[in-house]
Amino acid sequence: MADEERKAKIFGIRHLSPAGACYVKDFLERIQPQLVLIEGPSDFNELIPSLTDPQVKPPVAIMAYTKEAPIRTVLYPFAEYSPEYQAICWAMKRGCECRFMDLPSSVVLALEEGDYGDDQKGAAPDLYERLDQACGEDSHETFWEHVLEQASDEEAYRKGAALFGENIRLLSQGVLPQGTLSDGDEPERPEQADSPTDRNYLREAYMCRTIEEAAAQGIPMEKIAVVTGAYHVKGLLNGKAMGEQEVKKLPKAESMITMMPYSYYRLSMRSGYGAGNQAPAYYELLWNGFCQGRPEAAVYEYLTRVAAYLRKEGNPVSSASVIEAVRLAAALAELHGYRIPALRDLRDGAVTCMGHGHFSEVALGLADTETGTKIGSLPDGMSQTSIQNDFYQRLAELRLTKYKSVVVQDLMLDLREKLNVKSKKAAFMDLERSFFLHQLRILDISFAKREHTRQEKATWAEHWHLQWTPEAEIQIVESVLKGDTIRQAAAFVLKEQAEHGEKIGEVAWIIQEAYCCGMPEAAEYGRRTLQGLAVDAASVSEIGAAAESLSLSVSYGDIRHLDASPLIPILEQLYLRACLILPESCACDDLGAKDVIMGMEALNRLVRDQDFISEDRWIQVLLEIAERDDLNTRLSGLAAAMLLERGKMSSETLSREVERRLSKGMPADLGAGWFEGLAMKNHYALIARMSLWESLSSYLDTLDEEEFKRALVFLRRAFADFSSSEKSSIAENLGELWQINPQQVSEVLNEELSDAETEFLEDLEDFDFDL
Amino acid sequence: MGQEQSVLRLPAELLYQNEIDALIEAEKDPVPEGWKMSPRSVLTYIIGGKAGKTQITPKYIGHQRLVEIAIATLVTDRALLLIGEPGTAKSWLSEHLTAAINGDSTKVIQGTAGTTEEQIRYSWNYAMLIAEGPSQKAMIKSPIYRAMETGTVARVEEISRCASEVQDAMISILSEKRISVPELGIEVPAKKGFSVIATANTRDKGVNEMSAALKRRFNIVVLPAPESLESEMEIVKSRVEQLSRSLDLNAQLPEQAVIEKVCTIFRELRMGVTLDGKQKLKAPGGVLSTAEAISLLAGSMALAGSFGDGRITDYDLAAGLQGAVVKEEGKDSKVWEEYLENIMRKRGSKWLGLYKECKELNG
Repeated sequence: MADEERKAKIFGIRHLSPAGACYVKDFLERIQPQLVLIEGPSDFNELIPSLTDPQVKPPVAIMAYTKEAPIRTVLYPFAEYSPEYQAICWAMKRGCECRFMDLPSSVVLALEEGDYGDDQKGAAPDLYERLDQACGEDSHETFWEHVLEQASDEEAYRKGAALFGENIRLLSQGVLPQGTLSDGDEPERPEQADSPTDRNYLREAYMCRTIEEAAAQGIPMEKIAVVTGAYHVKGLLNGKAMGEQEVKKLPKAESMITMMPYSYYRLSMRSGYGAGNQAPAYYELLWNGFCQGRPEAAVYEYLTRVAAYLRKEGNPVSSASVIEAVRLAAALAELHGYRIPALRDLRDGAVTCMGHGHFSEVALGLADTETGTKIGSLPDGMSQTSIQNDFYQRLAELRLTKYKSVVVQDLMLDLREKLNVKSKKAAFMDLERSFFLHQLRILDISFAKREHTRQEKATWAEHWHLQWTPEAEIQIVESVLKGDTIRQAAAFVLKEQAEHGEKIGEVAWIIQEAYCCGMPEAAEYGRRTLQGLAVDAASVSEIGAAAESLSLSVSYGDIRHLDASPLIPILEQLYLRACLILPESCACDDLGAKDVIMGMEALNRLVRDQDFISEDRWIQVLLEIAERDDLNTRLSGLAAAMLLERGKMSSETLSREVERRLSKGMPADLGAGWFEGLAMKNHYALIARMSLWESLSSYLDTLDEEEFKRALVFLRRAFADFSSSEKSSIAENLGELWQINPQQVSEVLNEELSDAETEFLEDLEDFDFDL
Repeated sequence: MGQEQSVLRLPAELLYQNEIDALIEAEKDPVPEGWKMSPRSVLTYIIGGKAGKTQITPKYIGHQRLVEIAIATLVTDRALLLIGEPGTAKSWLSEHLTAAINGDSTKVIQGTAGTTEEQIRYSWNYAMLIAEGPSQKAMIKSPIYRAMETGTVARVEEISRCASEVQDAMISILSEKRISVPELGIEVPAKKGFSVIATANTRDKGVNEMSAALKRRFNIVVLPAPESLESEMEIVKSRVEQLSRSLDLNAQLPEQAVIEKVCTIFRELRMGVTLDGKQKLKAPGGVLSTAEAISLLAGSMALAGSFGDGRITDYDLAAGLQGAVVKEEGKDSKVWEEYLENIMRKRGSKWLGLYKECKELNG
């Protein structure tokens, strides 16, 4: 073809490809272009000089977002090893002109309004799954790593990229590729962009137009270098440019553009065409290797780093294991006919030789080496992100703008529906405000602080301090890494916390937080973790506390107009678990008993508060604890008290129990301990039962002096919680038994203590139970 | 082959001789020293495929990557340790690997608590030793010794059942790759191609923990339980059929739904999570292997055949499940109760009968 000479020079790449980044520089050196065109929205051109600012440290992203809610964004992340980024750097260094050539982001955002999701999230995963199957490998990533990232020269890379582009192109048209290059006919270009594939045709037509425009400005075609995804190479070579009319017909959404810092972690979370990368830190190792001219260097670097991480964490991994891992990875690659191991071979080498065959042993080391914690940075003030925008919009919506001042201001909220206002929005204004402020609190944005001291009990009232500081602004910008809007970012944080929660109390708290933020869907993450932890949750008191905090969310979900029913099954499960382990937990010393008491009280309240909890099971458990003799007597006493309170223990059973527990021969501290437990609840009911006091009295009569002293210590503690009038009723009861009239009793009670008596009581304080 | 009638089970290399021959004939890739075929052909032999016109039957289903790792390990002359719960085809895989690599799977040491160091290295024919003094002729070579001499792969079954001093004897053999015979004043170096495949069982009681030093000398591959419910059901079904034929159980074969229930319960309790991955649960202390699911169903068939109408009822199943799950009275019965209440009760009417029977038995 003669006019081949007169076409623009196109270099097809895979996005985020170290080899591509390296060879694109060779390509540009060879062509010496006057203009470099990059695949990227053409309204981002003004950001090109800032991208190469020495203070800008990749990974960074350029983003566009709609001004109107709901906020939608498009993102183009760049790592140091993005071919596009290296091409831009090359152009800036040589003083060569450089432009983006794709559809403007405002058009992309408008096209997306049809709710197809952008091609990075929507159709792509499915596309890649099909590509996996077509490659006949477990992972297309591995195949392309061999073909592209281990390409030995520019030519090999070009060939690989062409194959890559061809494959995705065929797949996106619903054809399974055969793994070879083919010259299929281009289908008709559709009028409307209603799927990612069709949008790609639109984009290519626009890109062709940009190329032709540049040529029309007098730049010779062969001096135009085009750096674009391999997918588009064929479209750009054969495609027709978009006409003036068509450009005018393109929809537009009002949008803002900005740069934002990006992180490897976020890069690794998104997969798919051009948008992400499973192992950004590993790819950086590949890039470093390329820069040194040793593509295989990453193999050693990767495994050494994993070993170093594991050693730091206390796992002894010898250098010999690293060597074996390298050898195994090489043998695995060879089994498939490749010279250099790919990431999958390295992982398997690490698991087999350093992790004793268990992935879990090396998982953290692999994550650290593959994903890493690198975060890009921008100079101050360069960023105006969607989350900042969202923040201001919501301030205005919730009429909170006046609180944006450096002076601390108080805000009192009443979450209940206001009945004297017209619109629904106004009726729930305070509730919405509360949701918003709680979301800010979750994100650690210092604008809003909750005042906790007053009105603890009133669940409908909240008291906030609001204060604006420059730090708050910075905190908001940083939050963009967590999500595009405040709500998304808060959901992300809750999800992270929920997934890393280790104690059930912690996770139950997160669920409560999700309800405070008005995001019951975020509570779902917590619910799952909680369900997992509940399986091996340790102590009754922990389960009790968690159950209680869930129970609160269930009870007060109403006030926040949220549906708490998903929490009910998990609450039931916690309850069942607690009931199963409670009897065993009651076999403990007095120190441990304190914990168990808290758990029992919490469960008792739970049974009382929630009618979906089965009371029968609770009574069964309490009966068992009350009857068994081998458990902590105080807890047995408490169980009896709870039964009594519920009317599930008859007077006869009680007096039989009292006689049994307080009989001669039973060690005094055990008997009195049981009584202490019994006396923890329903004082009045106890006082009114004469038979109880009779038994107590006759029990005391059977004790000798030393035993009496022991019992006295416990009984004193048991009665410490009784009010003075309750104490005198008890004294009167006992007086009646001992035939002393009430008058005399109160005289004795109100008499000053004699010195001898005081001394005796003081001695009791130091009573040594070990004697 | 006249042998076939008199032998209960032939070694793999004889059973699949035609496949091995076909693979050797169709060989295209380089063959490592001491091997009969290339690593890629070994892989084909294990996971199935084609060699020329011969169809190669798959010997090990699922987890192709693990087989690749195992083969690559042997290529790098490292020893291979296959670890897994009972019934995960460790010995099966090790036998077939040696059959394909050397055409000989018979250099085996069966590890027991009574295995001695001599069985790992060499021992003597004492009559000859006393009569003639130490000589090559008086020496009885262990399978490992012979593998070193011939440059082939030896197998050690159930290595964790051997006493730790016997395990220790392996350490120097694996790192030095030579055996010294001080009595004869010689040292036997291993020929190229020598390696060892050991198998070990981690979950059973009565095994000796392997020392870190020994583990370091192996590349360890952990063989998991069957990958999916379907594949496990398939294995269980075919084995129960075989068993009922040979044992004359007098009962109908379990219905698909029954097998599904048993496999579901076993998988969920084994993995500690429901099949849909949504709910975690507590796992009992026992192993709950596929082999146990098979014997449970066979047991239920025996119950139904001997005392019932020949059809497995929920009552028969519940008895089997109780025995399989609750091995340690106190702990496991609580685990089982939690499972019954949290999972099974909520599964709806299909499971209700089984739930009731199990609850009754668990008390």
